[in-house]
Amino acid sequence: MAANYWASTQRRHWLFTREKLAEVRDRLRDQDKASHSQFPLPDQRLLNIYFNQQLIKLGKRMSTRQQAIATAQVYLKRFYTKNEIRQTNPYLVLTTAFYLACKMEECPQHIRFVAGEARGLYPEFITPDVAKLGECEFALISEMSSQLIVHHPYRTLSELQNELALSSDEVALAWSVINDHYLTDLPLLHPPHIIAVMAIIVAVVFKPSHPGNFGNSAQSALAGVMRDGGGMGMLAALSDKSGSGPPRIQNLVQWLAESEVDIKAVIECTQELLSLYEVWEQYNEKHCKELIGRMVRTKNLDK
Amino acid sequence: MALSPFGSRSPAVTVASPNSALRLKAAAAAPQNASASTSTIIRSDPNPERELAEQLNDDIRRKYVKGKKLGEGTYAIVYLGNYRDDPSSLVAIKKIKVNAEYKDGLTMDAIREVKYLQELSHRNIIALHDVFSSKDQNLNLVLEFLPGGDLEMLIKDGDIHYGAADIKAWMGMLARGVWFCHENFVLHRDIKPNNLLIGADGEVKLADFGLARSFADPYLNMTHQVITRWYRPPELLFGARQYSGAVDVWSMGMVFAELLLRVPLLAGMSDLDQITKICEAFGTPTEENWPGVTQLPNYVTDKVVPLQGRDFFLRQFPTAGPVGADLLMSMCVLDPRKRATALQVLQHRWWTTEPRPTNNEDLPRKSGTKKMGDDLARVGGETDEGLFKNAARQLDFGGKK
Repeated sequence: MAANYWASTQRRHWLFTREKLAEVRDRLRDQDKASHSQFPLPDQRLLNIYFNQQLIKLGKRMSTRQQAIATAQVYLKRFYTKNEIRQTNPYLVLTTAFYLACKMEECPQHIRFVAGEARGLYPEFITPDVAKLGECEFALISEMSSQLIVHHPYRTLSELQNELALSSDEVALAWSVINDHYLTDLPLLHPPHIIAVMAIIVAVVFKPSHPGNFGNSAQSALAGVMRDGGGMGMLAALSDKSGSGPPRIQNLVQWLAESEVDIKAVIECTQELLSLYEVWEQYNEKHCKELIGRMVRTKNLDK
Repeated sequence: MALSPFGSRSPAVTVASPNSALRLKAAAAAPQNASASTSTIIRSDPNPERELAEQLNDDIRRKYVKGKKLGEGTYAIVYLGNYRDDPSSLVAIKKIKVNAEYKDGLTMDAIREVKYLQELSHRNIIALHDVFSSKDQNLNLVLEFLPGGDLEMLIKDGDIHYGAADIKAWMGMLARGVWFCHENFVLHRDIKPNNLLIGADGEVKLADFGLARSFADPYLNMTHQVITRWYRPPELLFGARQYSGAVDVWSMGMVFAELLLRVPLLAGMSDLDQITKICEAFGTPTEENWPGVTQLPNYVTDKVVPLQGRDFFLRQFPTAGPVGADLLMSMCVLDPRKRATALQVLQHRWWTTEPRPTNNEDLPRKSGTKKMGDDLARVGGETDEGLFKNAARQLDFGGKK
């Protein structure tokens, strides 16, 4: 994180309303209806899950920070608000986003190394020509209007950790929830502190009874609990300031009431997360891979 | 490749002229077929959106007229430019040479510069008005034009006379720029007189963000190979991998001393020599005056010189006056934890002590435009080699003017 979020290009240029985002995407679709009917792609969130897995694979052999992966995911989202995915080679774009994000988050990797890794993973789709990656980097920067700093919710989480006396389990779970939010449109819709607060609430309210390692995603830990009517309980807990819930939650509610954080936005984020976990159950890696592969091959996007 | 101006950064350029709006409409309605975009990632049928994006980029490009070359480095060329519709308003256009065939991607320097200048907007930091890409697919940064040269020129020019009040004015502007960086969690990491450019109105501006970075998360390491040697603080010379804004404050102290003495205070010939010179000037860092220093990776000591007291600064820098000497001393404390912060520097009594800082319009100055070209061209110019091992930009002693 650098510079001031409130004066940042992220807040000024890369924060959309839901309507605006839908409009932007509709426009992209209208421009290329043929491709849309010819190459159906899975739900955006399922694609995001797929992309995220690819980024993690890419980063595996390099010591990449989670934050660089997160930045790369935001770059992908920004890029695809300007460009129709069906006119791009997503493998090249995501490799480039990864390469650029590593530089941006101060854990640079050499271009040859990144290109080599990507070629190892997707020999069909990444040419041996390193220059393509360099060229795509240039395109990516241009499309993002050279606005490269991304503010993430992780920092807010660490800052609130002490203030809210979060346990290490709660922090770990909230951290995973933040990882998951990159699979949705939330990074384009809400400022990072809202996301962080949402993650904390989810972690505290839905803390699974069997704490443990949540891994990279909180999906397995949370999907069940949240679906089982938990969401309603939480909304009730939040609106009930007189306090009938457990003291832990009451304290949080108290803090929220005083914090002036936009509760409506937080609730909206929670619902978005909930629906992500629902959609997730349909996720099928092979299916995504096939659809993207067919699209790239047929349209010769990899050349 | 098009750069779509998703809103522009500078207030001076936010208003789209009706003219360009018209052209945009025309472009959207009747996409010309001349799409020469050979982009690899976006291909297939020409589509209006791309045309539109290119058109927008062209609009930014057309806003400026590129003039004569001001200077050239290995990785950047700087041109004088001006707004097309106002030839009297000058800009500097820094063209970053994307190395032929994109072999190595954009350098960290270029990335850092764009990254930070996009977000930092302050009177004492060079302004980035626009970014656009040119036909040959180069990144062009449209920067504020600063014709007044840099502080190094003023220091070295024997014909220019300046006094304590002038130094106070320059240091004040430097300190405000550095404070603003730190306030926004950015370390500059290359503060030295020839990175401090001077505007037509005499305002000092911090330039060259090629080594800048944001504060690292706690416990994450950063490279210690930053800051030109003569301005590098002891913790970096000792190889500290975790450091703070205190590194910039030390550099500021060195600039302050150099302004007073008109020669660099500590001109080490090597990193080791630099440490020796620091010890001789201020005293040897020991566990007593800097707890933990002996644990730093490159800590060395031979003979222990006792820590210099206030007398030393008073004697050495009489022009600063006693209060100025105190300020300098607080910026040159060996232990970075005890060194003044940029905010403390700004809060120092010296600023409100006589003499008052000189008004900008009365500051000594030098004219000529060539220097800015050199300064900016050097930016990003000397660092590419060993980017991942050693980001430092060493001084070129042989080529020193």
